[in-house]
Amino acid sequence: MNRIPTFRWLILLLVSWLGFASAWAQVTVTGKVVDANAETLIGVNVLVKNSTSGTITDMDGSFTLEVPDAYATLVFSYIGYTSQEIPLGGRTNLEVILREESQLLNEVVVVGYGTQRKSDLTGSVGSVKSEELQKIAAANVTQALQGKIAGVQVTSASGRPGEGPVVRIRGTGTLNGASPIYVVDGLILDNIDFLNAADIESMEVLKDASAAAIYGTRGANGVVLITTRKGSRGQRARFNFSSYAGVQQVDRTLALTNGTEYAQLVNEIATNNNGRPPFADPTIFGAGTNWQDVIFRDAMMQSYNLNVSGGSEAMTYSISGDAFLQDGIIRSSYFNRYSLRINNEYNLIKGLKFGHNVAFVNSNNNNEPGGIVFNAYAADPTAPAVDDQGKFGNTSANSNVSNPAAQLEYNAYNRGYGQQLTGNAYAEVYPLKDFTFRSSMGFNLFNNRSKSFEPQFFVNDKQQNPESRLFVGYNRANDWQWENTVNFQRDFGKQRINLLAGYTLQSRGGESFGGSRNRLIGDTEDFYYLNAGDAQTATNYSIGFTPERYESFLFRANYALRDKYLLTVSLRRDGSSKFGSERRYGTFPSVAVAWRAIEEPFLKNQDLITNLKIRASWGRLGNDKIPSSAAVPTVTNNLSAVFGPDEALVFGASLITLANPFLQWEETTSTNLGVDLGFLDNRLTLELDYYQRQTKQILVPVPIPDYVGSSGNPYVNAADVLNRGIDFQLNYQGKIGKLGYSIGALGSTVYNEVQSLGTTNNALRDVSINGEFATLTNVGQAIGSFYGYQVAGIYQNAEDIANHPNASPVKPGDLRFADINNDGIINTQDRTFLGSPIPKLIYGFNLGVDIAGFDFSADFNGVSGNKILNAKKMFRGFGIPNFESSFLDRWTGAGSSTTEPRITNGGYPNFVVSDHFLEDGSFLRLRSMQIGYTLPKATTQRLGISNLRVYVSGNNLFTWTDYSGYTPEVASENVLQVGVDRGIYPIARTLLAGINLSF
Amino acid sequence: MKRRISIVYQGLRPVILAALLLGSVSCGEDFLSVKPQGVINANNFFQTSDHAVWSVNAIYNQLRNWDFTSFPSLAMTDIISDDATKGSFPADAERIIAFDDFTFDARFPEEVRLSWRGYYHGIFRANIAIDGIPRVPEINEPLRQRLLGEAKFLRGYLYFNLVRWFGDVPLITQPLTQDEFYSRTRTPAAEVYQQIVKDLQEAIAALPEKSKYSPADLGRATKGAARGMLAKVYLTMKDYPNAEKYALEVINSKEYNLLADYGKIFLPEGENSSESVFEIQATALEASYAGATPWNMVQGVRGSPNLGWGFNLPSDDLIRAFEPGDPRRDATILYVGEILPDGSAVVEDNPSMDNERYNQKAWTPAHPGLQDNGPSNIRVLRYADVLLIAAEALNENGKPQEALVQLNAVRKRARGTRTTVLPDVTTTDKTALRERIWRERRVELAMEQQRWFDLVRTGQAATRMKALGKNFIVGKHELFPIPQTEIDLSNGLITQNPMY
Repeated sequence: MNRIPTFRWLILLLVSWLGFASAWAQVTVTGKVVDANAETLIGVNVLVKNSTSGTITDMDGSFTLEVPDAYATLVFSYIGYTSQEIPLGGRTNLEVILREESQLLNEVVVVGYGTQRKSDLTGSVGSVKSEELQKIAAANVTQALQGKIAGVQVTSASGRPGEGPVVRIRGTGTLNGASPIYVVDGLILDNIDFLNAADIESMEVLKDASAAAIYGTRGANGVVLITTRKGSRGQRARFNFSSYAGVQQVDRTLALTNGTEYAQLVNEIATNNNGRPPFADPTIFGAGTNWQDVIFRDAMMQSYNLNVSGGSEAMTYSISGDAFLQDGIIRSSYFNRYSLRINNEYNLIKGLKFGHNVAFVNSNNNNEPGGIVFNAYAADPTAPAVDDQGKFGNTSANSNVSNPAAQLEYNAYNRGYGQQLTGNAYAEVYPLKDFTFRSSMGFNLFNNRSKSFEPQFFVNDKQQNPESRLFVGYNRANDWQWENTVNFQRDFGKQRINLLAGYTLQSRGGESFGGSRNRLIGDTEDFYYLNAGDAQTATNYSIGFTPERYESFLFRANYALRDKYLLTVSLRRDGSSKFGSERRYGTFPSVAVAWRAIEEPFLKNQDLITNLKIRASWGRLGNDKIPSSAAVPTVTNNLSAVFGPDEALVFGASLITLANPFLQWEETTSTNLGVDLGFLDNRLTLELDYYQRQTKQILVPVPIPDYVGSSGNPYVNAADVLNRGIDFQLNYQGKIGKLGYSIGALGSTVYNEVQSLGTTNNALRDVSINGEFATLTNVGQAIGSFYGYQVAGIYQNAEDIANHPNASPVKPGDLRFADINNDGIINTQDRTFLGSPIPKLIYGFNLGVDIAGFDFSADFNGVSGNKILNAKKMFRGFGIPNFESSFLDRWTGAGSSTTEPRITNGGYPNFVVSDHFLEDGSFLRLRSMQIGYTLPKATTQRLGISNLRVYVSGNNLFTWTDYSGYTPEVASENVLQVGVDRGIYPIARTLLAGINLSF
Repeated sequence: MKRRISIVYQGLRPVILAALLLGSVSCGEDFLSVKPQGVINANNFFQTSDHAVWSVNAIYNQLRNWDFTSFPSLAMTDIISDDATKGSFPADAERIIAFDDFTFDARFPEEVRLSWRGYYHGIFRANIAIDGIPRVPEINEPLRQRLLGEAKFLRGYLYFNLVRWFGDVPLITQPLTQDEFYSRTRTPAAEVYQQIVKDLQEAIAALPEKSKYSPADLGRATKGAARGMLAKVYLTMKDYPNAEKYALEVINSKEYNLLADYGKIFLPEGENSSESVFEIQATALEASYAGATPWNMVQGVRGSPNLGWGFNLPSDDLIRAFEPGDPRRDATILYVGEILPDGSAVVEDNPSMDNERYNQKAWTPAHPGLQDNGPSNIRVLRYADVLLIAAEALNENGKPQEALVQLNAVRKRARGTRTTVLPDVTTTDKTALRERIWRERRVELAMEQQRWFDLVRTGQAATRMKALGKNFIVGKHELFPIPQTEIDLSNGLITQNPMY
């Protein structure tokens, strides 16, 4: 009974003492905190010793503090740095240098609409620094995230130069667009294809709701924040030059049947069908043509980057120019990008800052001829690339695909040109103490141009073009984003509070136009303009994209008590033009707490554990990645009819698809429990998170029966999906004598399950191959699971057929399917789940060693537990495409094979969807390996060079996998079509040499 | 305590004020209300009489689609029948052999599904028009009725083919709403036929005769087309009195005449001739292929001189079916070495082809654009067909003399100037005359995508197929399988045809 009064008394005492202390404050001390390299330190704790009053340093490393008297002692502490006590000794201005204790936790991380000390984080945020990003030589920086952050899966969709990968954060949370958003210096974008790795300071991935909920209806798939490089105040001009050059080659080619083998198999098919074998003597063909050799090449890749940065008291600047030049490993393909970036900030008058981050990017590329990878796989190997008379061989006759060599001659002009201006201009005002008002106008403008030309040619009756033809297309986008935020930050001794409120508007729109003409007056590039073609053959189009608009209100509060107890609350209210007026706005809250137990007394008197933080968060996020017109059905034009004696084309138009006006965004409820641990001066660190993401009302373009008659599938808020798993990231840094080394491992498990498919409860089928759907998304299974027959063996003879249940016509040598429902017949009811394309585990590990100026690093990444459907092997269609060598092990008579069926050219049962075509997609890859040498400072400084490093490096050097295709990375943006290999542009192995130079 | 709260409040107050201020500048609804650009949407369609016309034109547009004019349609009408074989060289589109040897099933080849899908897409467009045109606020009333009549004619025609191919099919007569997507079952064929009859009767009432259309509307569905189609529907239903009635109405309308020269029907000059009752209209434009079909290309001469694909080749059995000296044989079949109908070249031998000969009715002279810019109108219903429907119905109704008039009119025209061939048929024995009419239908309408429907309708499919050594199973192959994807998507509500 008397505990309550005691407690009250204590509080009263505490509060009055605090009030007393702050009332007493008289002397103002200012100063700046920097590290050993004179870089400013942000968020350093500055405390008056033996008191609770203090502050943290701001973005410039400066602090202002009221102290009781000019002879007090200040304590400077910063996670990852050795704390320092400095007696003022009457001074009121200080410059303090803090030394690093360990590099690992020395981090300020960027969070949505601001920055935070990593130690203050309550959510789950993964961070990658510039040096790591630059280890991967690729046009697209997201490639470099592979194997770097637990919970982030990066899968290359294709090795085409310039192409971006598919990114999934903590599983696949939706059946719809499941990619994260990218926020570059505050600007929300769908991709960062235009960014150069060398221009990036850091990338942060917001994984849980506490971190991402501030992005509301855009945040459910995670958020990737990118901060580009900026100058520092008071830093002299520093030049940085980096460059690499290297060669790429196809990792491996596939084993296909050669000329003789193909001819034998084709003859055997004819014989099996009681037909006439077309090849009299298969042996005359010998090895024939390996079409893969025709299309692949060793290709160059180069990158150059020059940056100058620095600053005075009045301004900071960072200016860089980049050139990235990549030839593709398939002949004729390339991607070149040139960019200029200017990130400046100006302190015009006291209390007002103005700045801009602007990139101008110019790119051009050429795509390989359409379908050439599959054609090289399927083309008849008995046909020559070019015959004795110099004519292209006929691959249409038997295999019914185009001759890839002729495609490279005639279909290789597929140019794209891009110009992009992306960035923002902002102003920050500090009208009151502790307040920052910021208004930022972001923009993303781009103009794309495409041209493709096909000359008149004749290879054979199926591969020909009787008239030359030119297509041109122009594409313009005009996106803007206006953000207004007010930030309040104040320390009350043991308490720190940071409040943020904001209002933002965003708009996206654009249009495209283009046309074509035939019969050009010349075949060379200088004629590739429409006016050089016959006006009678002209076509044209102009299309306006439905604008997408967003209006948002946002709010966030961060509260810290004694640096021990941390609380974050955020709220965003979003309106989106994609939805009907009754369902336009949604509210997305989150709350998170963290406890830095390392600050507790019971952990003070030991030095084994040097960091311990426990985090928990909950929040709700949205996803609206559907076409902007999905809620309103539009009328399709140009469904014209022919009438009248002159056979005139008469305009027609109608609704041919259905839409759903009742659409809403999807809602993801995300929960995260995490612990951060550091041992031995944080040389050993562990981050461990348990996450659960539950998405409801998933928007699905539901496959509907054909009898409905709609040409497209309408979107419905139909499904619920669960993702849960564990992310871990473990790092150790050590030193043996002069040898420094680091070892890291990270991993993420994904359990993905569809929990509901709404009231209709219709399983979603996708990937139609040979008359059946290969994936089925159903309750209790992972999204896009493979579905089909299970092979139980091969019918060895007629008796075998008689003794087993079977479906209509099977012959000895055909695949025998398992009677899953044991009803004595094999029919469609016997199809079953065959596996999931989503890996159960995504992992990476890396090691680094440095000694005497040499450094070595190796990064591995891998996935396990997923399946790949080798769909290219199933495609038989018209003609008889070439075969993978595995077909040679075919059944040829009783007992000859129990795994490979007799040779047929499509049809039931050997080519329907079954686990015969399903392969293990697990792999482990040596993603990058690098050996570098930094010249001794003593040598370089004499030359006026502050740093000079040269290195050799390799990307994708080895891949360990059982998958038989070019690469086990088989991605799709469409989550119902993942892991289906139809013949993708292979990912290259790259060998490089590079240099980094600063002066 | 109070003081600290007030500090926090003082800190918060400007934030709250700022938030309120910013909130008050919210652009809200206006900013977020966007319209699709450059397109009409569902909310403002069917506002003008143009919209009504466009929606009906869009149904005709679908008839030129790949699903209607190439492999799917040819495989399920001619190639499967005794009139034709797959064609091209053996390995080319090898899967189509399944229709020659009756190994197609619910999945393979995909042509069955493409037909099903293509037809339902057409029905969807018809339903959109029939649903929307009555709502158009201001439109000339006769035009409204005519457009509805056209849409109903086309819907009736589409269902007629579907029910003949698949038997019971889901009968959908208005655009479905979301809760109906998966709930449909197969409607008994008899009910589908009732709807077809209803649509065609309403079309007859609403549509003008061919001669009453303005020239610019040549090619639209007419009263005669609806009557002729209905006669064929009744013939298929074995309702011979009604078949006779509607066939005679076409004949008595005096709107149509047999073209004097059979061979000219299928040349460009024979398009929309006096014999034409309904044709799918197509044309080869110079700039775009927006008016074309793949019909000519798929069946064109493979190799020189026509650069087609050479599918759907007339069979030996069809050649044997012509009476000696019947000029229709040479007008139907284009042989190697034959001079093309326009005299431009000779068909050269292509050594990779087996039994090389082509469907001459799909031949077309040089035209703008490439081979896939096929210009030929596809003759869906000819006056000769109507006469033979009349003949068959009259015979069944015990009026052999009147039947002979119609039958011999067709033979007389075929005979042309050659008086020694194709003598008039004289038998009045019902069974014998029925046989003669069926034989006449086969040769008169050969390679015009009619044969399989006639074989099944007349119950000859099993005997004819077995005579050719084909693996036809009675009780199964009279109908095509329902596409497996359809059964899967309906969770089994859509059932399979027997024995598939």
